[in-house]
Amino acid sequence: MNKNTAFNSKRVILGCLSVAAVIAIYALVTSRPDNNPALLPPITDIITSFWTNLTSGSLLTALGASLFRISAGFLIGTTLALVLGCLIGWYRNIEYLFDPLIEAVRPIPPLAYIPLIIIWFGIGEFSRVLIITIACFMVCVVNVIAGMKNVPAVYEDAASTMGATRFQVFRTVAVPAATPFIITGYRVALAAAWTTLVASELLAAQNGLGFLLQEGRRYFLTDQVMMIIMIIGACAFIMDRIFRKIQAHLMQWSETRE
Amino acid sequence: MPEIRIENLTHTFGKGQPNELTVLDNINLTFESGSFNAIVGTSGCGKSTLLKMMAGLFAPSDGSMKLDDQIIQGTDRRRGMVFQQDAVFPWMTVSKNISYGPRLRGASAAEQREIEAKWTQAVGLKGFENRWPRELSGGMRKRVDIGRVYANDPDVLLMDEPFGALDAQTKERMQSDLLETWGQSRKTVVFVTHDLEEAIFLADKIVVMSARPGRVHHIEEVSLPRPRTDAMRLTDEFIQIKRRLWEMLDH
Repeated sequence: MNKNTAFNSKRVILGCLSVAAVIAIYALVTSRPDNNPALLPPITDIITSFWTNLTSGSLLTALGASLFRISAGFLIGTTLALVLGCLIGWYRNIEYLFDPLIEAVRPIPPLAYIPLIIIWFGIGEFSRVLIITIACFMVCVVNVIAGMKNVPAVYEDAASTMGATRFQVFRTVAVPAATPFIITGYRVALAAAWTTLVASELLAAQNGLGFLLQEGRRYFLTDQVMMIIMIIGACAFIMDRIFRKIQAHLMQWSETRE
Repeated sequence: MPEIRIENLTHTFGKGQPNELTVLDNINLTFESGSFNAIVGTSGCGKSTLLKMMAGLFAPSDGSMKLDDQIIQGTDRRRGMVFQQDAVFPWMTVSKNISYGPRLRGASAAEQREIEAKWTQAVGLKGFENRWPRELSGGMRKRVDIGRVYANDPDVLLMDEPFGALDAQTKERMQSDLLETWGQSRKTVVFVTHDLEEAIFLADKIVVMSARPGRVHHIEEVSLPRPRTDAMRLTDEFIQIKRRLWEMLDH
């Protein structure tokens, strides 16, 4: 326990060190007399932009809108991926049915669907959530399938010689044995959700973090652009940390460390 | 009580193809109720294949296997198996592993507790009930494996080199403990190993197989009295059997 705490604090210190170094270098560069603040706004400008957007409420509105889209797309996409991925990875016939389709669709970047989605569904909330859902589903389902296919045969044999039916083997052995892969799928999906969120909001949105980015570009508010980028980074980081906590809890049995 | 009868069993991998390979050739064997049987032979004699067929994990290409005059088809809880590899479920604690079989059949929580308590005790894992398998040594994980199969109460126990990966001391200890557990219920056991001493120490009957294709070469009846003790390993009778069997194996 003691050793672990030491390990963690060392980790936090070293992690902060690299972030602090980047900030220090940035501060140094922007403090030079020949710096153009329109391209590289000083840190104080970025903080001011944060404060104005925070107090005016526009930042929180944008954050709320974006988090809603991410959550909706992530939950729907990963749930579909979990159900379908488990079935595809376990039942041969379902695999034969869906595998060519998934393999054909997989290399297409989710953003490529944007024009089609706009044509079909317009530029409303549904379209934005749909893009995120597709992105989450595609990266997650591949991991779930891989997990189901990597279940060691000896576990299946052990369960069936103890009298487990095929479905019981699926439920009590294959799915738990695949959890490390499934969790990885969820984490990759979370990253994909953020990537596609900003892209979908850059194209068509009246609010959200991507919209604030777009607004910053249009009115040459470089400090606002910088500020939003940091907000996105921070949010994604916090979400990933929460996810790791959940992962550590679910994976207590596993030998692999975080 | 269960009796296993194997009649004219032949198994060919890739039958009908140019590279077909006969691994088992015309095997005829009977394993009597409540007896402890061992199958020995060098690698490639098909002993593991034979055992997996008895478990119902796959079917022979010719001939039949019967348990109490019923043809063996598919897996069944009556024929429990302990594998060479580690088959303990790492996502379940020791006691959850032990009660896995009864839980499949909807045992109540109280029944599960009772079975867990009985078998963790019986296989020497008291105090480790709530540990994860990763926290146990290889020998202890094998104990979980054996306890889990026993807790499932099969009629026949099929064991595929279960102690193959353990060090010599642990192995001898496990053998004695296995005999003690077996002595209390006298299930029919078929134990595959390549270790002659292990076979002699454990079994009433030893089937010696020859390789490529696997055939029954010799059947040795071991008349050492029970209960067996470690001291017997050094008796003249024990060593004579070992020498006789050793000369039979293809080296």
